[in-house]
Amino acid sequence: MRTSFKGRHRCLAALGLLCSLLATSAATAAPQPETSWGLPRNVSLHGGRTDWLINVTTIFVVIMFGVTVIWLLWSALFHGRKHKAHYDHGSAGKQIIKAVLLSVVIFAVVDGNLFFSGMADLNDAFWAFDKADAAPNAVRAQVNAHQWAWDIRHPGADHKFNTPDDIVTFNELHIPTGAPVILQLGSTDVIHSFSLPNFRTKQDAIPGNITRLWFQATATGEFEIVCAQHCGVNHYKMRGVLVVQSPADYQAWMEEASKLASRAYDPEDKTAHWGWDWNR
Amino acid sequence: MDLQPIHPAPKSFLRRYIFSTDHKVIAKQFLWSGLLFLLFGGFLSMLIRWQWAFPGERVPVVGQALFAKSDGIITPASYNAVFTMHGLIMIFFAITPILIGALGNFTIPLMIGARDMAFPRLNMASFWTFVVSMTFIVLSFFVQLGSAAAGWTTYPPLSTKIGTPGLGQTFVVVAIFLTGAATIMGAVNYVTTVIRFRAPGMTYMRMPLTVWGLWLTSILNVLFVPVLGAAALLLFLDRVFGTQFFISGAAAVRGGGDPILFQHLFWIFGHPEVYILILPAWGVVADFVSFFSRKPAYWYKGSVIAMTAITVLSAIVYGHHMFTTGMNPMLGKAFMILTLIISAPAELLFLNWLHTIWKGSVRLTATMLFTLGVIFVFALGGLTGIYLATISTDLYLHDTMFVVGHFHLTMAAASFLASIASIHFWFPKMFGRKLSETLGKAHFWTSLVFITLVFVGQLAVGYAGQPRRMWDPNQYTFVQHLAPLNRWTSYFGFALGLSQLIFVYNFFRNVFGPANAEPNPWGVGTLEWTISSPPPPHNFDVIPTVVRGPHEFANPDVQVLLGRDWVAQNEVLPVDPPNAAAAPARGVTQS
Repeated sequence: MRTSFKGRHRCLAALGLLCSLLATSAATAAPQPETSWGLPRNVSLHGGRTDWLINVTTIFVVIMFGVTVIWLLWSALFHGRKHKAHYDHGSAGKQIIKAVLLSVVIFAVVDGNLFFSGMADLNDAFWAFDKADAAPNAVRAQVNAHQWAWDIRHPGADHKFNTPDDIVTFNELHIPTGAPVILQLGSTDVIHSFSLPNFRTKQDAIPGNITRLWFQATATGEFEIVCAQHCGVNHYKMRGVLVVQSPADYQAWMEEASKLASRAYDPEDKTAHWGWDWNR
Repeated sequence: MDLQPIHPAPKSFLRRYIFSTDHKVIAKQFLWSGLLFLLFGGFLSMLIRWQWAFPGERVPVVGQALFAKSDGIITPASYNAVFTMHGLIMIFFAITPILIGALGNFTIPLMIGARDMAFPRLNMASFWTFVVSMTFIVLSFFVQLGSAAAGWTTYPPLSTKIGTPGLGQTFVVVAIFLTGAATIMGAVNYVTTVIRFRAPGMTYMRMPLTVWGLWLTSILNVLFVPVLGAAALLLFLDRVFGTQFFISGAAAVRGGGDPILFQHLFWIFGHPEVYILILPAWGVVADFVSFFSRKPAYWYKGSVIAMTAITVLSAIVYGHHMFTTGMNPMLGKAFMILTLIISAPAELLFLNWLHTIWKGSVRLTATMLFTLGVIFVFALGGLTGIYLATISTDLYLHDTMFVVGHFHLTMAAASFLASIASIHFWFPKMFGRKLSETLGKAHFWTSLVFITLVFVGQLAVGYAGQPRRMWDPNQYTFVQHLAPLNRWTSYFGFALGLSQLIFVYNFFRNVFGPANAEPNPWGVGTLEWTISSPPPPHNFDVIPTVVRGPHEFANPDVQVLLGRDWVAQNEVLPVDPPNAAAAPARGVTQS
């Protein structure tokens, strides 16, 4: 059972009920192993942009590397000891223009593509927080990283953080498909990095700082949350699960879990109230 | 020349071989230390590869001795120390002393026609500071909780007492500070020597590209290693005196400091550092492709301009290491375009090398093979860098094995192969003996094949998303199918490790072997080959007067006048070149 509450839980009945509820919803699909050596399965609205840019760049890289290797082999094999060396300093005007032009053209095509596509990806997708924020159906959650787990706070039915109906989960983030998900990330101890390989994005969680990340899922299922930043002895175990549900399932889960959370809420348990105001 | 009088050679053993101020002796001291640590760092990488192939299984042969408490298993805590120290040792205690300490010390005065460094005693101080630093590194393995384990980047708060409370981490921070001080001493020396001690006629545009690379590297060292020193010092204060420069979060008192500040300081140094390690390699490659293609370096001035441009740009791109820290998007995008711009001069430099080989008369000596190897691995490593320069693709690839593969191909494999190329090339001048060409070639082919397989294997698992620095990546379901690939990469890694024994054998067999090197075995015209092998303590009886550039190969006039395809930088031709064709051939005796 991965799911549990953070902090001490006095209302065991409610917890048991919640766990069984979560277990049924999570039984749909545990994180699946990948089948091929390529990029992991993309389930994000924007991941395709990254994949396209990576793959197009790989074509350029293969061509440039191929030409280099052929050039080296050709020179080594056919311009060897028996070949008479040309006395050429390569510093004639024409040669300079040729060399500079060739570098500039390669730069313009390969790096130009990377730059303009990369900028568009950031402005329209990965760093377009305004767009995500403006969406009426945007889903928000707070993540508190610590050695070596993710505490995740869903705001619950009232969509407000730090209220009794917050759903606090351990290493498990619930989101619906088709809605932008905005996360705020904090850390109590060292730097961690919240990474979603299936969504082609990541964001560091830094103590003393709140950082943010947004993405949007296109398929239901369970996907892994990786801690990408070396964070100590058990860094390799800092694994979370992202549970993506259909909007209806998510709504049902959220309402039920929120209700249970309110029932289990203990105003005395200060350690469980680690959330922060969303609009600080 | 008043500037460089001939001092009598020291007589006592201590002055001559231990506390020597002779740049050639200091170069050898750096070489021995660097090679020793290279072996040690390489051994640590074998442990890492074992862990990735067989996570949590007993290490064969050495396991019981090294990890006695855990019954021969590398525990997660030990693993963190192993990969951290592998990185730090390879960068600061293997490649830096070999490429900069040994190569820089040996070649700069000889190639520019000087009798020694500008500050010989500072040079000695640099080495002995380095020795103290090495001592701290070695000691760190024997204190409680083991050596540093916060990654070579030493990011706080993990590197403060919050994450790594042991004395080992403190020792390593001290060692980084000291090695930084040693590097600065060396760099000040190199910069001054190149500016002040060039022989008459040795203009900047006649300097061998090796010297250019080392000089630019030294300028970067002088400017940016102090920043690393500052970062290490502040971290030391945080660890030992309870300051909170880099601590925030739950452990912070009264607001604490900022962990990101450390990353800025570290990478302001850290990015120039990768160019610090690669510029000397580029320099020797640019020279060697010309030397062993028997053809002038293609557009020498262009290579100088490109290397200088990269040096300048390297100072303003460091932010690309921090794209995922939540930096201001404007700043991130600025770092992205600046980083991408570096590829333009790099391409130019590359094209110059390729054009130099083209239509040459290539001699595939061990040196040349290693040089071509540098071009091969650097092409692969450089090209995989552009994915990481671009923020949107970096968001996926950052902190994956792809990054590990990329920087190993560039600053590890390329600078390693360039080091070996340089050792093969200057070994006769350094020790008066030659390394075996046959063993050198065997070492080259095994190294190249396995380096490619190992680091392309890392790129491949990184492309599939495998995070780096994982004690057991198989904790994650989505990378479990990569286990066989990881295991094969490890087998190639072990083969790479074993093939280094060829070099060890070749080195030891010849360094104590019979003195058999001629003054100029390669037929090259730079100044160090105009004197005996090894050179006398004062290098040049008479300071040479330079009359031409370092790459005057295949000059038809020279071929007519001297009957050989090369001419020394200080060699005055018997007849003016314009009239050479008309003059009868004379003195046609090949040396």
